[in-house]
Amino acid sequence: MAQLFPKHHVMGFIFSLVLTVVAMAVVVYDLSYTAAMAILLITAFMQAGVQLVMFMHAGESEDKVTIYTNVIYMVFFAIVTILGTLLLFIWDM
Amino acid sequence: MKIDNSLPLEYSTEENRLKILGFWIFLAAEIALFATLFATYFAYQGRTGNGPGTEIFEITPVLINTFALLTSSFTIGLAVNAMRLGNKKAMLTFLGLTLALGLVFLGVEIKEFFTFVHEGATIQTSGYLSILFSTLGTHGAHVSLGFFWGLFIIIQVSKYGLTPHTANKAFIFSLYWHFLDVVWIFIFSFVYLKGMM
Repeated sequence: MAQLFPKHHVMGFIFSLVLTVVAMAVVVYDLSYTAAMAILLITAFMQAGVQLVMFMHAGESEDKVTIYTNVIYMVFFAIVTILGTLLLFIWDM
Repeated sequence: MKIDNSLPLEYSTEENRLKILGFWIFLAAEIALFATLFATYFAYQGRTGNGPGTEIFEITPVLINTFALLTSSFTIGLAVNAMRLGNKKAMLTFLGLTLALGLVFLGVEIKEFFTFVHEGATIQTSGYLSILFSTLGTHGAHVSLGFFWGLFIIIQVSKYGLTPHTANKAFIFSLYWHFLDVVWIFIFSFVYLKGMM
């Protein structure tokens, strides 16, 4: 039975629940915009990291380098798309 | 077909390994899709016209959905673990649990959409609501597709057993499901929580 619930999976799950509760702080407490956004960014990216490394086994095959390069490149692409849009339409620079 | 028995079933042939790599490349393209949706969402934030804005969000259904998806991501991880132990029965149980939680998610999200529309927030009301429904809907459509995909995986595994072929399909499905959970975390944080701040 214990075999069916490996420790690092259970830890990953508990960790993701904790991160969700921490992220909830931004609606429960009256934080400044900067502090709230910092909390959301940190918890969201940590959640993504937990999924990627602990659950998706990203690093276990011989294609490890290709997979990580590909994902990191696309995350970079996503950040450029989102920040670029914010820069033009919201921050008005 | 050369089968390398030192590796888990889903990686045991070269074709299997390359299929998993190919799926990672597809997932990276999906990151680009959701990035453009998020970018548009941020650009349209506050452009609500005469319609309602983020005040339509309610915390309870969002929390139910978050816990349903987080737990389903955990159970599908356990399904892959059971598959590697060669325990077909446990694997199918965990897969079934995953899909049941997926259904809970879909049910709550559909009900939430009905509530929104009831409150006068439709996809045609404003630019903001158009992109809100598009972003949530694209993710919801992925979960719906994943539900049927998972159903076919369950049928195939119970029919043909654990072979390099079916194990590979199940593993790729697990990657897809974890990815949907990651996208949901970003929706939860930057659409719902940020909107309710």
